[in-house]
Amino acid sequence: MHIQSFHDIKELLTALKREDKLLYEMFGKRKSLEFKLSYARELVDYDETRIDYLIEKSVLRKNGGLLEIDDLYLQFFEQVLEVNEEINLASIDGNVKSIQENIVYFLNENNEHRKQEYLREIKRTFRKIGIVTIRSVIDLRRKVDNTFKNEPNFKNKQLKLKHLDEKRVMIKKLSGQALELINDNQPVFFKTSQDEELKRVITELKIQLNESSHNLIEIEKQVINYLNQIRQQGLFLEKLRKLKYLKDHFTIEAETDIKQHLSKNNPLIFERRQSEPLNLSLDFIVNEERAFDAIKKVAAKFKARIHTIPQLAESIATDFLDNNVEQEIMINLEEVRNHFLATGDNLFRFIANYNFNKEVSFEERVTVYCQLISLYDREFEIAGEYENLNGVEYAMVYPK
Amino acid sequence: MKTKCTSEIFEILRRGRFICSNSPDDQIRMLYNVLEEGETFNELQKYFHHINYHLEHGNEYFYFTRLESNSNLDRKLNKAFGWIDLLDFLKTFDPSFDIGFRFSPSEITNQLKNNADLKNKLDNLKRIGVDKKNYSERVKKVIEQLVKDDFVALENEMNETYKVLTSFNYLKELVTAINIPEEVENEMPE
Repeated sequence: MHIQSFHDIKELLTALKREDKLLYEMFGKRKSLEFKLSYARELVDYDETRIDYLIEKSVLRKNGGLLEIDDLYLQFFEQVLEVNEEINLASIDGNVKSIQENIVYFLNENNEHRKQEYLREIKRTFRKIGIVTIRSVIDLRRKVDNTFKNEPNFKNKQLKLKHLDEKRVMIKKLSGQALELINDNQPVFFKTSQDEELKRVITELKIQLNESSHNLIEIEKQVINYLNQIRQQGLFLEKLRKLKYLKDHFTIEAETDIKQHLSKNNPLIFERRQSEPLNLSLDFIVNEERAFDAIKKVAAKFKARIHTIPQLAESIATDFLDNNVEQEIMINLEEVRNHFLATGDNLFRFIANYNFNKEVSFEERVTVYCQLISLYDREFEIAGEYENLNGVEYAMVYPK
Repeated sequence: MKTKCTSEIFEILRRGRFICSNSPDDQIRMLYNVLEEGETFNELQKYFHHINYHLEHGNEYFYFTRLESNSNLDRKLNKAFGWIDLLDFLKTFDPSFDIGFRFSPSEITNQLKNNADLKNKLDNLKRIGVDKKNYSERVKKVIEQLVKDDFVALENEMNETYKVLTSFNYLKELVTAINIPEEVENEMPE
């Protein structure tokens, strides 16, 4: 594929500006390894030519259905925004070499104008060395911390820290080279140079390198400390896994001295937590205001806990309370007999005509007749004659 | 008596708890500072000795031991085994799980989703939270157990962050102290 570059900075900036939404999203997700082309289409309003344009200018790269920012741009963004993960030491090394070259050119050149150009390049590079060194040190420090805290893989954590430590050595060496260059390698150039700005730049660089070297010492301590911690953690983990293995295979008691060890002393943590069943001091309960408060509190709680709601019956309906008398006239058999005994009539006719104070049917009168005979047969004389009334045959009964 | 905190110290320690230098509880940190003073420590040690408690100074923590044990060896073994399982679980969650480490229950629960090893280990923590149906409840139970044994403490209630206390050293020292004979070690798989 033919790769085109931008014609000028204006075209580049316009292109980046136009797709700022897409680039912003992609930059934000640069760590996730997956940026789907379909999602990118959404961000350019489904105008795929816009994506194609960036790919053509190699700002983006297409990889199957995924899209990523080209390394060149990614590095640029990261470095400018100071979020780069990689510590690039090659640039320091390159800068030192470039200074050396430029010094040689400077010394060889007779044309004052070109000499100045070389000098300008030298100063620019010196400034760059200072900035890059400081930046590398800061990055290194952050990276060491991050690796120790966030790297989940144990072995990789150890390896990464070792590699970061190597980087630290490299930075130290490179800043040493830069100092050596200033102090020893080109005495003629630095001694003879009358340029005030160069002197200032070099002083500043020396301050920066000095600061870096202090930081590097700190980082070294930190790395050693972290590595030690990791080593100890590693040893501990190994031991723990072994004990776990023995425990899970039920051989831990037989194979290790765990029993002896545990019987050696008696920390309370092994014991069941006991509450003390102590009785309260009677003096305390009787005399102390505090005790009384407590009792009141407990009593309130106690009451609240047992809800003794008395069971209430429903109210009695008022009509139950009204006097409700039902009257019934009963036949007083005794009185009937007395009346009968006073007459000379026969019983049946007497009862058939008797005034009972209420209406009594013939059948009932027959029943009364029978009841009287069975109750008072001794006071009556039952004759052997019979008469007939309303189809009822009855014996003639008289008072004795 | 040099200190007014004797009863407070006693109340904590006699429950089998620890007084840790990095406790999120200001009061306990204060007690630690009181105990750390050599003279006070010696005096209290002597004092508690009379009632059969031995005040011990561990690595950044204090605790009680007893001259005569109230717990038998089986109970101790069981407890120690439980701790080994627990430690194994926690170290699988994060190998840097150690003093000062901060974590939240949701972090553990989240990792359960993509860490089968961790999940398996949680399933095998037999005594803790088996009655709970979902993992987040079980994780909570595990943490409750740790809190109860005083190895971690709630540091931030709002975002449920727990902190590993210095008493964790006790567990580590226990593990380190157990000796595995070399020939046994050699027989074990990597």
